[in-house]
Amino acid sequence: MEQWIEFAKGPLFAFTFLIMVLGLIKLVIIQIYTISAGKGRNIRNTNWKKIVIDTLSWVIPVRHLIPGTRIFSIVSFLCHIGIILVPLFLADHIALWEGFFKLDLPQIGYALADFLTLFTIACLFILLGFRIFSSRLRAMSKKMDYLLLINILIPFIAGYLASHPGINPLSWNTVMLIHLLSAELLFVLIPFTKLAHIVLFIFDRISGIHWQLRPGAGDRVAEALYGKEAKV
Amino acid sequence: MNESNMNIQPAGAIAIPVNKYPYYIENPVTENRVERFLEAFATVLQYSDYKSLLDSYCSSNTKCNRCAVACPIFLVTGDPKDIPCYRTNIILDIYRRYFTIGGAIKARFTNGFELTEEVIDDILNIFYRCTACRRCTNECPLGIDHGMITRLARYVLSLIGIVPKALQVSVREQLEGETHNTSKIPKVALINTLEFLSEELNDMLGVQMEFPVDKKNRDYVFFCAVSDYLLEPETLMGNAAVLYAAGDWDKWTIGTQNYDGINYGLFYSDWHLENIIKQLVGEVTRLEGKNILIGECGHASRSAHDFVPVFAGKDKYPVINFMEYTLQCIKEGKIKLDNNIVTERVTYHDPCNIARSGWIVNQPRQILKSFVKDFVEMTPTGKENYCCGGGGGLVSIDEIHEFRMSIGGKIKAEQLRQTGAEICIAPCANCKKQLKELIEYYDISCKVMGLHDLILKAIEIPGAKSPQERKEEAALMEI
Repeated sequence: MEQWIEFAKGPLFAFTFLIMVLGLIKLVIIQIYTISAGKGRNIRNTNWKKIVIDTLSWVIPVRHLIPGTRIFSIVSFLCHIGIILVPLFLADHIALWEGFFKLDLPQIGYALADFLTLFTIACLFILLGFRIFSSRLRAMSKKMDYLLLINILIPFIAGYLASHPGINPLSWNTVMLIHLLSAELLFVLIPFTKLAHIVLFIFDRISGIHWQLRPGAGDRVAEALYGKEAKV
Repeated sequence: MNESNMNIQPAGAIAIPVNKYPYYIENPVTENRVERFLEAFATVLQYSDYKSLLDSYCSSNTKCNRCAVACPIFLVTGDPKDIPCYRTNIILDIYRRYFTIGGAIKARFTNGFELTEEVIDDILNIFYRCTACRRCTNECPLGIDHGMITRLARYVLSLIGIVPKALQVSVREQLEGETHNTSKIPKVALINTLEFLSEELNDMLGVQMEFPVDKKNRDYVFFCAVSDYLLEPETLMGNAAVLYAAGDWDKWTIGTQNYDGINYGLFYSDWHLENIIKQLVGEVTRLEGKNILIGECGHASRSAHDFVPVFAGKDKYPVINFMEYTLQCIKEGKIKLDNNIVTERVTYHDPCNIARSGWIVNQPRQILKSFVKDFVEMTPTGKENYCCGGGGGLVSIDEIHEFRMSIGGKIKAEQLRQTGAEICIAPCANCKKQLKELIEYYDISCKVMGLHDLILKAIEIPGAKSPQERKEEAALMEI
């Protein structure tokens, strides 16, 4: 088991992390290419101020708490805090970042990490509950929407159990391996699922403002389908 | 909507029960709709730039459901199929399944999404329940443009012949007909109408003004929703009064080759959108005009403002909405409005295309507040305001009148009632038609009019009858 853990902490971590990074870089490159002058549009005229203000206003969505989605929005926002802070700044993770990337990140204390972890778990359960019990959300949700939430929950629960042996019903090795593998599965899934919004949340807004119709495309589509004499 | 469902078949065709159209279609498609839809979608993807945007939306759409509570249709029906994200996801599912490698591989191993006749029925129905007001886009944390997806879906549908007859017939006349306008108003009728309006203005104001037609090298070439010439003459007379009072009478013209600002392409077809823009630009070029001046019409303003630079060149012709022009005249002191004329309570409806999707929110309010004493806002207002319920071309589809009234415009009617306003200003031909029908349907005591209808009452014109004199004359005529 310990060899498996070492493998998961070592080569498998590096491999899955690389997949995530390369996958996200690919998405970013495609986005930049799409909105670039190379596609016939002048990016210099983009209203960057509006994009930055819009994006920031959604990062802390105080202005966007509309009736009917307030609880969901608040829980979702709070959930993101833990999902971002704990993996990056937990003391045990810092060692990993240092080992692989020589990154010297500041660390959060164990008490705060514990609080954030439990808080995030609670938020994730609430979001899962929304997706199960709200008819609106259920109507739009597919298996993957539930599985991704569960996949995010597992490393948080397993990580918490690993650092609290008193309440851990399984062996430390088992929960640690679950923690590592589930987190690494997330790394792989991020660029290929809706979790890609961790980078695309910026670009969707830019694309939305900057995207334009291609001149002449309509005529070419009509001609391809109905010939040169295509009629309305 | 069920009561308006109908199964229209061409003579001799075999009826297929699943082909139900909620609106009239010229030649209802009954066969191979799935294959034809996919072929049309593939062709659109091949020649357009939608692929990158759809890829992005597929990767980031979190289905958080915030858009649901922003949608005036869903808020009334509570039907999940009316949730903007639900609609968008149908198109994204089709894209993923049939036009991405991942989707094709997944389909080999799972019983995932499949486009069927039933899904086509859903698409042709729910995308014409959407008013494309884009309120949902404002509430999307990721900025997904559900309104754009609505147009894309309708565009693909139109390429296989599924398009409301009311829209198709209008566009055909505009692009391929003799009159080149959606209401089929011939040039001679336009000239007669303008002469009639001149006489009306002469009687009303006591000044001689003849509408400039086909004048070359003018600052402004004017386009309004062509229906205004017949249905909203007071808006046009208000426009004319502002130009006259501002001393710009010899700076504008109406063209007779193309005098329709309407562009239904914005609602359902990139192909028509571009060609209508080109037609409009062609008229300005013929007349050697300098600017495009658009009357009170939301979608005409947005389509020209947003797409003239795309299809005709970025600096070809600046596009100005008439309200911008009027506000500028007020600021420069070129026109004066008497603030003792309008005593009624007035509210303002924001047309989605120029407010939420555009650039005109404060300008009309500045104008109104300069001469209206009792101005009251709707709640919510500005870019958050609700659609009239007839947006996205729905107002032109008579057979869905009941849907537009009981569902599409229900929240707007309530909003309007709560203001207690006696006059609702709606500077858009489509909004005006829908709102007029709404106040009748919901029995609301309010008059709907354009901004320049009201300006016509209060504008002070040197050498003409004063607004007070005109008001007294109008009161006498009502008696």
